[in-house]
Amino acid sequence: MLVAKPMSVDVSKIVRSHEGKRGKLISLLQDIQSRYNYLPREALEVVAEQTGIPLVDIYGVATFYRSFSLTPRGSHLVSVCLGTACHVRGGREVAEELERQLQIKPGQTTTDNEFTLETVNCLGACALGPIVVLDGRYFSKVSPARVKQIIKSARAGKEEHTADGHVFPVKVSCPRCNHSLMDFSHQIDGHSSVRMTMAFGGKHGWLRLSSLYGSFNLESEYDIPLDTVVNLFCPHCHAELISANVCPLCGAPMVPMLVIGGGMVQICARRGCKEHRLDLNGVNV
Amino acid sequence: MINLTINGLSVSVEEGTTILEAAQQLGFPIPTLCHMEGLTPYGACRLCVVEIGEGPRAKLVSSCTYPAQEGLKVRTASQRVLRARKMILQLMLASCPQSKTVQDLASKFGGIQGHPFRQEYEDCLLCGLCVRMCKEQMMSGAIGFRGRGKDRSIGTPFDIRSDICRTCGGCMYVCPACQLRCTYNEPEKAVCGGCQNLPPPCMEKFDDMSCYMDPCVACEICKE
Amino acid sequence: MQSIRSLDDFQTLQKRLKVDTAKNLPVIVIPASTCAQASGANEIIRVAKREILQRNLSEKVGLRITGCHGFCQMEPNVLIEPRGTFYPKVGMKQMARIVEAVGKGEVLEEYLYRDAKTGRRIELARDIPFFARQVRFLLGQNEKVDPIRIYNYIANGGYAALARLLGEGRPADVIEEVKKSGLRGRGGAGFPTGLKWEALARQDGRRGKVLVCNADEGDPGAYMDRAVLEGNPHAIIEGMLLGAFATGAEEGVVYVRAEYPLAIKHLIIALDQARKLGLLGKNILGSSLSFDIDLVKGAGAFVCGEETALMRSIEGKMGEPRQRPPFPVERGIEGKPTAINNVETWANVPLIINLGAEEFARVGTKNSKGTKIFSLVGKISNTGLVEVPMGMTIKEIVHEIGGGPENSVPIKAVQTGGPSGGCIPATHFDLRIDYDSLAEAGSIMGSGGMIVMDEHTCMVDVAKYFMNFLQDESCGKCYVCRKGTQRMSEILDDITSGRGTMEQLQTLEELAQVVKDASMCGLGQTASNPVLSTLRYFREEYEAHIRDRRCPAGVCRDLITFTINENCNGCGACKLACPEKAISGKKKEPHFIDMKKCIKCGMCRSVCKFDAVDVR
Repeated sequence: MLVAKPMSVDVSKIVRSHEGKRGKLISLLQDIQSRYNYLPREALEVVAEQTGIPLVDIYGVATFYRSFSLTPRGSHLVSVCLGTACHVRGGREVAEELERQLQIKPGQTTTDNEFTLETVNCLGACALGPIVVLDGRYFSKVSPARVKQIIKSARAGKEEHTADGHVFPVKVSCPRCNHSLMDFSHQIDGHSSVRMTMAFGGKHGWLRLSSLYGSFNLESEYDIPLDTVVNLFCPHCHAELISANVCPLCGAPMVPMLVIGGGMVQICARRGCKEHRLDLNGVNV
Repeated sequence: MINLTINGLSVSVEEGTTILEAAQQLGFPIPTLCHMEGLTPYGACRLCVVEIGEGPRAKLVSSCTYPAQEGLKVRTASQRVLRARKMILQLMLASCPQSKTVQDLASKFGGIQGHPFRQEYEDCLLCGLCVRMCKEQMMSGAIGFRGRGKDRSIGTPFDIRSDICRTCGGCMYVCPACQLRCTYNEPEKAVCGGCQNLPPPCMEKFDDMSCYMDPCVACEICKE
Repeated sequence: MQSIRSLDDFQTLQKRLKVDTAKNLPVIVIPASTCAQASGANEIIRVAKREILQRNLSEKVGLRITGCHGFCQMEPNVLIEPRGTFYPKVGMKQMARIVEAVGKGEVLEEYLYRDAKTGRRIELARDIPFFARQVRFLLGQNEKVDPIRIYNYIANGGYAALARLLGEGRPADVIEEVKKSGLRGRGGAGFPTGLKWEALARQDGRRGKVLVCNADEGDPGAYMDRAVLEGNPHAIIEGMLLGAFATGAEEGVVYVRAEYPLAIKHLIIALDQARKLGLLGKNILGSSLSFDIDLVKGAGAFVCGEETALMRSIEGKMGEPRQRPPFPVERGIEGKPTAINNVETWANVPLIINLGAEEFARVGTKNSKGTKIFSLVGKISNTGLVEVPMGMTIKEIVHEIGGGPENSVPIKAVQTGGPSGGCIPATHFDLRIDYDSLAEAGSIMGSGGMIVMDEHTCMVDVAKYFMNFLQDESCGKCYVCRKGTQRMSEILDDITSGRGTMEQLQTLEELAQVVKDASMCGLGQTASNPVLSTLRYFREEYEAHIRDRRCPAGVCRDLITFTINENCNGCGACKLACPEKAISGKKKEPHFIDMKKCIKCGMCRSVCKFDAVDVR
């Protein structure tokens, strides 16, 4: 799943992308960690070779900072905050219940590689302590009794999308020709889909997105590999849908669509990146 | 030239001189552990602290790293300095009692009878002499600091034999914690000969290949 | 977004944006900071968008997503401008109705804030006691500005200070103005910002000068920097630009801790927009000022908040502090002269230029000027961020703004300054808070964490908590800091588990003093404060642990017992939850805890709905 290409090729690419940048070692290691979920020994050796930074210094940095891990981590990361405010409200008890439920100590990973537990010294959401963060999702005012349910929600896995209170369908049109992009003949998530054409890596075909705001489901003529940036076009005027903004999370271009009823929605063009933004008219100033 | 006073005596030194060097010029003894001529001053052991400044702004600084400044007033053995040094030595004795260097420093300080802490037997003070020796004098960089806080340690990356280590033994030569072994081939300097009975604590980290004793003294440690 | 090349163009843009704002539409303002999102702000934002679209209100009602307004206890909350109607704890259903009501110009009485003391409903935010006593120079801007829209910031007077100075200001005047304002570093030590800048301006700039924004807010319990970063990143950028103008620096770095993903995201967007608009880069607004800012992400190390460690971390190395002198202003990042200021300090700079130094200095005490944001958290009923003038008493902050204790348990102390600070007992709550008064009381201002502790908080446990924190977070270089925190933690562990002796208490005090004296950097020099201040004010609690083998607050596990009282109706929830199966009892009959099996994890108390588990 992870290593399609030899690690050295991948890591070299990351090293090159950091050339000449400030504090490159730390940000480089951060990129390697987000690629592999931990810092593999081989990767660090490649970094040493390519940057000329002694391996001993790289290893020192990798062990000095808390956010780096030299061992593979589980698919779910559970962080429990042990900041002062969480501590006086019982964060320690929550941490201990997590240890009991997962049967691991902080810093360890369950044998099935599902969960890694870590403690954090403050997440800065002190008013809502004790805080537990599961894969980037914040749980506030957690009591030991609630721990079981939090873990269960992670085990349950993929979120299902149905239109309810906060997930709702939007109708969109091309920002250039204003022709509707809605495809009433083909449904995703039980609602009409949004149809456009796409191109990537020499392939050209159709793409249909869920029209539910908050759902990331899509169908396409060709499978889009994770991390690929696709070019999207209006099927009517054939203009490329591309905005002046780039995605703040991954740097890929944003794809704009007009919202029928007033406003603009933008989604990141990178497969797997969930950045999106819905601006309504009159919102801006 | 920079003029400062140390324990009331004026002294002129060149710019870039440390307080420690200036004090040594005047002959004031300041105990050191992590300091060694030829290696970059590091300021980790804090034994060489001296008091500078006056009144409420007076403070302790490590003399091996603090540059001499114009008009600085230095006291190398004030009450505050002695209190700190005593506590540091006690902390060292509590963690590394087997070190000849620490024992000597403590007995030279005088008046230290035991320490109030739980006894530990650690094999490293993390003074960093070996790290600097390896990097600066041996031009190797095989060992370095890892981790932080109470989990800080010294060793090779991934705790495996380093490709760039030339097994020169420089690290062991400067080590204040395992030097019993290092002085073994000069029997008159070895204090207790303990190394003949105990494997030196550094063995686990630097396997038998890094023994620097040549010719072999047949200590048989390498055969373990 | 078109780049602006001259001051005239900037003024034209400013005017155009102000006309747009003056439409006077009702605006629904929803804070969506990390804490608000944790309480469900994202859901209500989506509901608001859905309702606006479905009701076709997009030309009649505005919607602004902002950073934190401070009243985290009441999140997710909604503010309706221009009236100022405040709706606390808004759910998805309420949100839908609020949109409808705003469309019709109505107020929903039943959703308004209810004052705990009087029971009255209060409509306007400014009338709510939590807000009424504050002076919200910085947090007030968080309500006005959408952090990911630079035009929004400009429409609210943003970058006006910069434009004015580029037109007619002189660098020396800016420094003079900042000096006159009396602004002191908000990161903790309180060094006068103007003096720091003056020192940097005097340095030889041939190799370049660097400005750094220290956003490595590591103090557990403090999050005001996060609120400013997330809510108003352009204020920091403008502050740094003004600093660059004053000191001649051409490079800037914002060092943000990795634990703040939303702050990082908003900063990336803000920097990108400022660059596109020509407010960062070469020849800003056609002037001779050139300045750009890099974003560097931390990787999880508290010590990197110390300025020399921070510089090493920016250089991509281990965050080990180094000896000062040389000070960063003389030799900083890559050897270049560097001035490092905290997030809140930078955000105050545009304010000083806009208000004027005299007006700014009107707020505060003799030696501490302006406002300070505190994060009021812990055992208090109104938790959140509060911005108050320097010199307000702790009593006013805790009892009037904070609304007093969380429940009926009386408040015992506040802890300020994080691991470098100390505890101030309730008997000293008349203390007027500024840099000097806090230092005299044995604590420090620090970055502004204020953690409220009640009679159920054990002060020895608090000291132990901080020592545990510090022995992990010390870089480990100085022997006294590394070993000292470890040994202090060991002694505190002995005391809290009932093995402590009076001699150990003596050792603890002596050791604390030496760690404070002989460590090299700020972390070590202040590491003893939690111990020394609790010893100073709460010695009797230490003695109770040692002499009587008793924890008065009922916290230290080895010294307490869990029992079930007569409130128990035998629901069996605790029995089910107990991980050690230590609880027995028949259905609908009072249960019983087997002391031998009990590990004192507190699960039974956490699940009990009838307050039937006692801790002694």
